[in-house]
Amino acid sequence: MTLIQAVDLTKRYTLGKDNYVDALRGASVSIDAGEMVAIMGPSGSGKSTMMHILGCLDSPDGGEVWLNGRRVDTLRGRALNALRRDEVGFIFQGFNLVPTLSALDNVALAAEYAGRSRGQAVETARQTLDLVGLADRVRHMPTELSGGQQQRVAIARALVNRPAVVYGDEPTGNLDSANSVEVITMMRRINAETGTTFVLVTHDPEVAGACGRAIRMRDGEVVGLEAEVVSGREQAA
Amino acid sequence: MAEKINLLVSGGTTYFSDKVTISDARSANSFNSSPLSVSKLDQVEQVDGVAVASAGVTMMLDEEMPSVSMGMPPMIIGTDLRGEDYETFQVTYADGRNLSPGEVGKVVVGSDLVTKLDAEVGSTVTLRGEPFEVVGILEKTLTAPDSSVIMPLSDAQRLFQRSLPEMMQGRVDATQLATDLTVYVEPGTDPDVLATTLEASVPGISAMGPQGFKDQIGNASRLLNAIIFGIAMISLLVGGLSVINTMTMSVAERTREIGIRKAIGASHGQIVRQFLAESGFIGLLGGATGLLFGWLLTVALNAAGNDAGTALFLVTARLAVGSVLFAVFLGLVSGLYPSWHAARLNPVAALRYE
Ligand SMILES: Nc1ncnc2c1ncn2[C@@H]1O[C@H](COP(=O)(O)OP(=O)(O)O)[C@@H](O)[C@H]1O
Ligand SMILES: [Mg+2]
Repeated sequence: MTLIQAVDLTKRYTLGKDNYVDALRGASVSIDAGEMVAIMGPSGSGKSTMMHILGCLDSPDGGEVWLNGRRVDTLRGRALNALRRDEVGFIFQGFNLVPTLSALDNVALAAEYAGRSRGQAVETARQTLDLVGLADRVRHMPTELSGGQQQRVAIARALVNRPAVVYGDEPTGNLDSANSVEVITMMRRINAETGTTFVLVTHDPEVAGACGRAIRMRDGEVVGLEAEVVSGREQAA
Repeated sequence: MAEKINLLVSGGTTYFSDKVTISDARSANSFNSSPLSVSKLDQVEQVDGVAVASAGVTMMLDEEMPSVSMGMPPMIIGTDLRGEDYETFQVTYADGRNLSPGEVGKVVVGSDLVTKLDAEVGSTVTLRGEPFEVVGILEKTLTAPDSSVIMPLSDAQRLFQRSLPEMMQGRVDATQLATDLTVYVEPGTDPDVLATTLEASVPGISAMGPQGFKDQIGNASRLLNAIIFGIAMISLLVGGLSVINTMTMSVAERTREIGIRKAIGASHGQIVRQFLAESGFIGLLGGATGLLFGWLLTVALNAAGNDAGTALFLVTARLAVGSVLFAVFLGLVSGLYPSWHAARLNPVAALRYE
């Protein structure tokens, strides 16, 4: 079943008079529910822009985005907040935890924004931190955690409201290889166990290797929805 | 300070509520007194409704006008004690006793002047170059008597005469000198009506009843309150701007955090509420610290002011609670714009912010 469908997306950043960048020039993608997909391509090819638009953090200048059979690029206000909070999750290269909140409170924050009581939010935050293997680190502040652990807190935060899809922008970009493996394994497992869709912008062959397929971009366009990067795991299957 | 002045005024209002004060018609303002004659007493007492009239001499305690003066300057009040049995504004004695008729060279000292004059019952104080024996010390009243020295009329008349320009000194009869007459009314007589009657029947005087006092003091204290209000408004503006500044900085510093919060689904209202709560808290902190320092300053200034004769500042519970609440309110109002600005940020732009 198609979960995410984007058609002919365009996005232009205007820097000044007659000075602009076409970050997207008619990009289209289609992603099924339960997939784990990599978006790859050279730096500046529009991967992050694409991800922000698919996740409704930003809106396109042209084209359409559909999620679960509903058009979402036109959402504004309350409906937009509700979508960001309930249906999609984000993880970033720089982890982006709130520095003044503990691991538990960072995760609970997202649940509280979704309207849970403090008690319920803490309870689900605890369960979700357990799911990413951090049950014993809930009271730690972000600075007291390793990069891999911080990224797992961010994954827990992205998952706490049970979204249909989690978008990641270079999720292993700031991690050493040991921590990268830890985070990739974690996402792979959650994808398999919960059926949550993962869409990961990456340069990291390890990440691409864990994904079912890769979407390749160049100069703001999707140049191949190929199976060639498909991992050894799938070939062996 | 405004609170202190209000007390001063309400003390005056009570004192003047049941009597008529007479001053010389030539002085437009009764606080700027000029010689009036004791002989007017007889004429005044013949008017219907007057129980008794008393002559007084009021003058500054210090020979030089203080260059900066806040509140009541220290005063000498000379009295013939004729009104004693009619006076309803009763003062109590912290120590010693009242003056008695016929005495000379004795004084009663108001509470704020005790330190300045180094006065105690039985000691001698020097007033305008003459020695006086202290027979009583007044309890604090929070109004005019606190900064006054009360002495027999004849002593005050002599001091007053000496204070006049030399060429006038020989021309006046000291025993006739009076700066004001106080008229005690008979029961059932309206002092304001009596004041009008007195002006009509005794030439050369200006009479003021309780309403007259209220009008006069009302004007003066309205002006003073307006000045204090102006200073308060400026402080408010400065305080408000600095909260706005702090909050704007806080928003700028935390642009990235706001981006994160929006990316995980915080609504406009949730962001606004967070930052408003913070600015309200800043207001609370500021208000509480301000109150603490203000209070300490008040204690220090009053201690300093006591030496000079007046305790000028007063912090009441109403003022304390009011000012802290107001600081919180100010914090909230000042936080409105930065909060609204924070909530409007585009999440992608905010996340890119370093
Ligand atoms: N906010 C922005 N303002 C101006 N130009 C931007 C902005 N964001 C991205 N771009 C430009 O758009 C192009 C695509 O950027 P991006 O989507 O970040 O690519 P990628 O993630 O593949 O490196 C780049 O040329 C980049 O410089
Ligand atoms: Mg990028």
